[in-house]
Amino acid sequence: MIAKWVKMLLLYVRFMKANLIALLEYRLDMMIMIFSSALIHLLGLVFLWVIYQRVPDINGWGLWEVLVVYAMVYVTEGISSFLFEGSWMMNTLVNKGLLDNFLIRPVSPILQILSSRIGVNGIGNILIGTAILIQAVSHISMHWTIPKIIMAVVLLVSAIIIRSSIKLASNSSVFWTQNPGSSFPFMIHSIGEFAKYPVSIYNTVIQGIVTVVVPFAFVSFYPAAYLFDKEVFRYWGLLTPVVAIYCAIGAVTIFNYGLKRYESAGN
Amino acid sequence: MNAFRKYIVLGKVSLQNAMAYRSTFLISLLAGFVLVMSQFYIWKAIYSKHNEIGGYSWDEMKAYLLIMFITNSLLSWYSEMAISQKILDGSVAMDLLKPLDFQKARLAETMGASIFESILGAALASIIIIIFEGIASPPDLLTWLLFLVSLLASALIKFGIIYIAGLFCFWTSNPYGVAWVRAAITNLLSGAIVPLTLFPRWLESVTAYLPFRGVVFVPASIFLNRINGQAAVQEIAIQLLWALFLWLAGRMIWSRAVRQITIYGG
Amino acid sequence: MTPLIIVDDLTKEFLHAVKKPGLTGSVRHLLRPEYEKKTAVDRISFSIDPGESVAYVGPNGAGKSTTIKMLTGILVPTGGKILVNGVIPYKQRIENAKNIGAVFGQRTQLWWDLPVRESLSLLKAIYEIPEREYKRNLELFTDILNLGEFLHLPARKISLGQRMRADLAASLLHNPKVLYLDEPTIGLDVSVKARIRQFIKQVNQESGTTILLTTHDMEDIEDICKRLLIIDQGRVIFDGELQAVKDAFAQERTIHFEVRAPLHLAEDALHNQFPGAALHIQNEGSHCSIQFNRFHLAAGEIIEFMMKRSDVVDIHIDEPSIELVIRQIYESNLNNQRIIV
Repeated sequence: MIAKWVKMLLLYVRFMKANLIALLEYRLDMMIMIFSSALIHLLGLVFLWVIYQRVPDINGWGLWEVLVVYAMVYVTEGISSFLFEGSWMMNTLVNKGLLDNFLIRPVSPILQILSSRIGVNGIGNILIGTAILIQAVSHISMHWTIPKIIMAVVLLVSAIIIRSSIKLASNSSVFWTQNPGSSFPFMIHSIGEFAKYPVSIYNTVIQGIVTVVVPFAFVSFYPAAYLFDKEVFRYWGLLTPVVAIYCAIGAVTIFNYGLKRYESAGN
Repeated sequence: MNAFRKYIVLGKVSLQNAMAYRSTFLISLLAGFVLVMSQFYIWKAIYSKHNEIGGYSWDEMKAYLLIMFITNSLLSWYSEMAISQKILDGSVAMDLLKPLDFQKARLAETMGASIFESILGAALASIIIIIFEGIASPPDLLTWLLFLVSLLASALIKFGIIYIAGLFCFWTSNPYGVAWVRAAITNLLSGAIVPLTLFPRWLESVTAYLPFRGVVFVPASIFLNRINGQAAVQEIAIQLLWALFLWLAGRMIWSRAVRQITIYGG
Repeated sequence: MTPLIIVDDLTKEFLHAVKKPGLTGSVRHLLRPEYEKKTAVDRISFSIDPGESVAYVGPNGAGKSTTIKMLTGILVPTGGKILVNGVIPYKQRIENAKNIGAVFGQRTQLWWDLPVRESLSLLKAIYEIPEREYKRNLELFTDILNLGEFLHLPARKISLGQRMRADLAASLLHNPKVLYLDEPTIGLDVSVKARIRQFIKQVNQESGTTILLTTHDMEDIEDICKRLLIIDQGRVIFDGELQAVKDAFAQERTIHFEVRAPLHLAEDALHNQFPGAALHIQNEGSHCSIQFNRFHLAAGEIIEFMMKRSDVVDIHIDEPSIELVIRQIYESNLNNQRIIV
């Protein structure tokens, strides 16, 4: 069992290395991607910065606390796209029948899909997100204990899993839509925008959507609420790892169910 | 007149294309919708404790958000990618063989597609108006008229910016990177994040010397009657001058870029 | 001997959305979806023993690729059974993948931007091929298929013929028990075709790898395969030895003669001796051909007859063409019944 997972991890690393080698052929493009995606995400920062020039807090959340929520979105998105950008390839893989290649190899197709691309634009997100996170944490007076640090790590990993699972699950819709221009995964992705700010500012409909339907709130808001001991939401933060497991199992189930419908079109 | 007609045809074809790819439009509009909704709620939380922020009442801020959404919906991602794609897939070489002006042809296509965008955008805008419950609106017909002219000028400026950004694909093969940088700069300096008057004084005065404020801030300010009468006419004139300037700059860059084609070999 | 591949009553149906054009059509489909059923493979049964080389042929859209995709585990069948080396492909896909190799002529399994050598080395990791086995196979394939000249190039920079050779090597690195080939020679030039056929034959004969080949190229079949499976409209219409089918269907044979002096031969004279033979005289008598049923008449006697009557410069006999044979089989398949030889 363990040997199997180690083998998968090693293979994953090899696939990613292959992607990197391929990518190095387009070095300028790579730099532009990293720079531009970092730049576009700085805009949100400007928004928050301008607002907090005028008001001390929003719904009881100070600037640095909101920045943690914001940075969580970017760090997790960055890591998730750096490592698992391949989900976005599913549309092409399925509609052009390229998934065939993955299915005739003795390796999990999910592993092969996830590692079919490397999201260099994630590097920009990771760098900026981490910088904000470090700044924010140093500005917030918090009592860090070892259990809390461990929990913070668990929350971060869970958040990455949740995000990546949503990506895999929403992209699996391609098995049903039979439509090369399907925009469903992008729609789901853009809902993540709500998770950049404290979810407590929204009405119940939006809160329900980002908590239950597409649990983006567990990527940023609930973990932050837990760490900062905010209102009732801190208890929700404890659920994050459970939600992560639920999402991962859900995504794999949806994928496998969809795979049975795969028609290997596009000859 | 005949010379003009072929561009009308191009615009028509582009409109039909846009309708065929309606789902692509819907996503980029929905992404804008989610963005405006999240900003709406964050402002709502702020205004629950403040009567005005930087001179904007809550109703005015809602109106500003609406105009922001509308100007962002026009000339969306699709038009931007269409220009880059023309260059990247080499069909620009085919275009050079035709008796068409590249820039005018792209303008015709962009405007054609934006008719469809306006319809979709208007539908979403009305949903926004319902959700927002009460927004400030222009006091009289003249203001409405000035606003619409300003909105048209905004589209022309945006075309100028998109076109020039698209031409950069002659030098790089990464349309997304170019589009992202373009979007980041435009959004920051046009007032698409917050009204420019909320910026620190130095940043606000920088934007006064750039074309970007004509994209969002000027039409929104006219809509809110914050710029009116002669000042509004003056601002619109400046918008049009910028549009003209960007058009000419686009021509200049194009003639440089065409030399690039011979290097690429089409 | 237990068969390596067992296919029993295998069926695959595809559902396709029936959508009326336009926006209203899309909306209507959303509310009340309508589907159209298309049976691509219709209750097919056959079995293949280890070491066989089978050609799987049929007209376009007959269900060949669909069958192969079910055998490889890519598609899940609608009904029936498949067993490959004791494994159900679509259920135990990973187990099955270890036993098989596949080459789809239209697409490559090499990594587009990686040097071919890197691609092969990645496959080594994927299939967990032991170092020694990998080295031996790579050396062997490099030698026979002449991979050396492009191993260092990325797949996007090599020619179609080179890509095909590399793909063949890639599919055989792990010594699979079965090799599925879907149009492996499509679009290749004659010399590359010959080399690839030679290689496949060698793999079949020396390593005992079972071959299942779909192709439209009849020379592929004749060079590589001993057995022929013909499928049409999703059903097997013929299954048997290639030689047997040739004997059964290719009864017509033609001998061509080139003669020095113009030939004066009445058809009656020929008919008297050889009833049923047909004579064609061309080029003002300098060339003639005689068509006959080789089960009723002997080629030797006809040649002797001609030698006596003219100054023969050159002779050649038309082989029964497999293409003709298969066309005859399609044509005799009017009521979709299985043909028995």
